[in-house]
Amino acid sequence: MDLIRDCLDKQIEDNSKRRMGRVDGIILELETGRPPRVAYLELGVTTLMNRLSKRLGKLVARLLSRLEISPDPYRIALGKVKVGLNTVHVDVEAEKTPALEWELWLRKKVIGRIPGA
Amino acid sequence: MKKIVEIALGIVTSVGGFLEIGSIATAAQAGADFSFQLIWAIVLGGLSIIFLVEQAGRFSAVSGRTIPDAIRERFGFNYFAFLFLVLTLVCLLVLSAEIGGVCIALELATGVKFPFWAIPVAFVIWLVIWKGTFGVIEKGVSMLGLVTLCFVVGAWIIHPPWGQVIKSAAPSIPQHDGAHYWFVAVSILGASISPYLFFFYAAGAIEDEWKETHVGINRVIATAGMSFGSVISIAVLILAAMIFAPQGIKFEHYSQLPALLMPVFGYWGFWLVVASVGIACLGAAMEITLQMAYFAAQGFGWNWSENQRPLDEARFSAAYTLIIILGAIASLIGIDPLGLTIFSMVATAATLPVSIVPFLFLMNDYSYVRGYRNGWFSNAVVIVLIGLAFVLAVVAIPLQIFGGS
Repeated sequence: MDLIRDCLDKQIEDNSKRRMGRVDGIILELETGRPPRVAYLELGVTTLMNRLSKRLGKLVARLLSRLEISPDPYRIALGKVKVGLNTVHVDVEAEKTPALEWELWLRKKVIGRIPGA
Repeated sequence: MKKIVEIALGIVTSVGGFLEIGSIATAAQAGADFSFQLIWAIVLGGLSIIFLVEQAGRFSAVSGRTIPDAIRERFGFNYFAFLFLVLTLVCLLVLSAEIGGVCIALELATGVKFPFWAIPVAFVIWLVIWKGTFGVIEKGVSMLGLVTLCFVVGAWIIHPPWGQVIKSAAPSIPQHDGAHYWFVAVSILGASISPYLFFFYAAGAIEDEWKETHVGINRVIATAGMSFGSVISIAVLILAAMIFAPQGIKFEHYSQLPALLMPVFGYWGFWLVVASVGIACLGAAMEITLQMAYFAAQGFGWNWSENQRPLDEARFSAAYTLIIILGAIASLIGIDPLGLTIFSMVATAATLPVSIVPFLFLMNDYSYVRGYRNGWFSNAVVIVLIGLAFVLAVVAIPLQIFGGS
């Protein structure tokens, strides 16, 4: 598998086929004398900003910390990942992960309070 | 029979949804300032958008993907982020112009100044998107948009010199005001070749669950719908050329628009223009709002669909709510809607290469469109379009400064 072509930036769906984000980053583990091994997929705004520029990544992380929001990206272990043709399927329940933190916050605090939501 | 109904509905939707404030303003300005001479720009813009819309529909029908989705995957996050930023800025300008158009229609109808209408109009746009489904917005509003065909009827009744009209379909060099002529040509092309139009069309193909079997239907809808739509823009230009140009009237304010149809339809001409501008701009404002929210949701991998409950897609719903609020600000603070419209059309033209270049790559990528890749002719047309878009990008800003009067 070509990691950049087949996995990075692909749509991620949880175990009930709910869209939960995209593969924003891939974490490789390096061990002396062994080939690099894919350990996790990452989702999160800090990872995305780091891809644009390290300085921007640090700035966003600092901003999130100041707002008392964890800047750490959400990591999914490779064992729970199945890379499909168009989608990356992960064996987790999206709503129970930090990946949907913003979605749930908006649902509870903003959208859910508007009549007809 | 089912296919014929689908095609007919698709064409009607495309025609009813074609006209928006940019096409009306640029065509009226072109007719007033240069008589029939700039018809070629509408023809060229129409031909371009036929190709782009057909390809966008084919892409989504075959790949089952939307364009932002594929751009992020194929070109990575950095390019996606750049395109997202550029399109968001340009589409916000266009959305502000469309909301301004609805407000102006209401000002014409009631006499109440347009800034007072900004909040009610924004609320109606939001409410329809909030409560409605994709079908309501795509088909319902576009059906109402068929009222814009009154411009075609008007242009037919006014008996223009058809020989001169047909001759003007070929480009010609201006006799006077060269910078202004090319500036208006660029703004017409910006109004015709709107990236939001083909991105929205592709997202619509996914919402309507198009499959490979829709490739033929898509071709007919794109060609007929965009052609008839361009005819409405040409009709606006003809009316302006017949009514404004002979009297030396410059098109400088939207309050002049009713004068296009009043000589033909009398009292009803006024109300036909008000209804046409109001409905066309309302429909376009909804489409642009949805397109911007789709772009964010598809690129960032959120849950999205106009057919789901807002609660199930909170980020998508929050995105279009915020977009509408931002889009209403210009009208609320009283920025001149005509100036804003012309500026936003030129800005659209200037940013065309950013969205068309990656699209060409996608339309030739076997992993997305398989055997439905572009042929040499479609590729040649898109490459010419990219060249044209590049020239527009280079000349748009100087023309904005020297020709934007």
